[in-house]
Amino acid sequence: MPPVPAASSWIRRSLLPSGLALAGLALLWILLVARAPVDGMQGVIQKILYVHVPCAFAAYAGFGVTALCSALYLWSNDERYDRLAAASAEVGVLFCTLVILTGPIWAKGTWGHWWAWDPRLTVTLLLWFIYLAYLLLRSFTEGSARTARFAAVYGIAGVFAIPLNYFAIELFGGAAMHPDNLERGSLGAGMGWAFLVGVLTGLAAFVHLLLLRTDLEALRAETAEVEPTSGR
Amino acid sequence: MSVLLAILWKDLVTEWRSRDRIAAMLLFSLLVVMVFHFSLPGGVTKQTQASAPGLLWIAYVFAALLGLNRSFSIELENDALAGIALSPVDRGWIFLGKTAANWAILGAAQAITACVFALVFDLALAAVALRLALVVGLGSLGLCSVGTLFAAVAVRTRFREVMLPLLLLPLLVPVLLGAVRATTGLIETGALAWAPVQLLLVTDAIYLIVSFLVFDYVLDE
Repeated sequence: MPPVPAASSWIRRSLLPSGLALAGLALLWILLVARAPVDGMQGVIQKILYVHVPCAFAAYAGFGVTALCSALYLWSNDERYDRLAAASAEVGVLFCTLVILTGPIWAKGTWGHWWAWDPRLTVTLLLWFIYLAYLLLRSFTEGSARTARFAAVYGIAGVFAIPLNYFAIELFGGAAMHPDNLERGSLGAGMGWAFLVGVLTGLAAFVHLLLLRTDLEALRAETAEVEPTSGR
Repeated sequence: MSVLLAILWKDLVTEWRSRDRIAAMLLFSLLVVMVFHFSLPGGVTKQTQASAPGLLWIAYVFAALLGLNRSFSIELENDALAGIALSPVDRGWIFLGKTAANWAILGAAQAITACVFALVFDLALAAVALRLALVVGLGSLGLCSVGTLFAAVAVRTRFREVMLPLLLLPLLVPVLLGAVRATTGLIETGALAWAPVQLLLVTDAIYLIVSFLVFDYVLDE
């Protein structure tokens, strides 16, 4: 077994700056969102955009990091990658839950339904299921090395399933309801900055939570090392 | 390649001598068909016939989950799995052998289920039997590839019976979509649509390759 690194010091040292960055961005974001104009067609409900889309980006980032770290873990057998993958999946599920909760609120106001089987929505839902199953698999497997290996295999299979799901659902599923892209000009004047800062805040929140969670996981591994009988 | 054949032969012989897996899968999928028949209102109508392909594939997936779990739980007896893991061969071929065996055993149960299904739902499946077999074969290949990989994972977790469907079903959406669409097209028009078959081919190929490559890490004891 490779030696457990001493309380991943760089992670702990970056907690304060990442927390400060998050707080600053969040403050700026609140100001910008409050000052952003109310959408002429959708009304005030359009402002949920500044929560919904950043959360979606954070969720996708989380699942991307999980898949990448899963592959790196299998390749290098370094426990740190496994801890990062597990933390990232958990934070990703949190953001994905927020996306799935904020989506229907917006949809009811603009599409008229709480739920539509739109491809992007369906794939996000499946993504959520895949990574919940990933977390369940982790908690139902005994032995840390085996947990890490099984989870990594599922994390990799999951990331291959996502484009396939998207392709399949776009081919045969319901009509697309989400806008195709967010090119320049699709947002009204004054909305762009709020949106951009929103995305940055979402990513900062993701990074900060990921660091916190990874640090916790490192502490847990350290405790298990010191007290082998009480460890998982 | 010889590893593949050896594992396939071993699994088929074991199955032939006990016949417990095929019996359980068949009985289960027939029960599912019966339950569907009584849960749909008004007997056989145009509407029930239209949803028949979906129901058929639900029966297939349930049966497959049963069989896949069993295919590795028998290996846990007498630590047979550790023996397989210790053999000095490429584990990808072990995976392919297990997949082939699961595919064959599932196929046998599927063929009989399809016959009963055609009778119960009054579907003219005999005319498209060969093309239907192709679709079912392709769909089952995707099902058995990730199914075999994660059955090997699930049997060594707590709640093993619950774990496999939770892991598998979100991954099976492309396979099921393609298979159900292709089956629907076959029953309605008698012709095989290319788009769903293409989806099945791509999904099967990706799942087989990924599972072949990562199976090594699943068996690693």
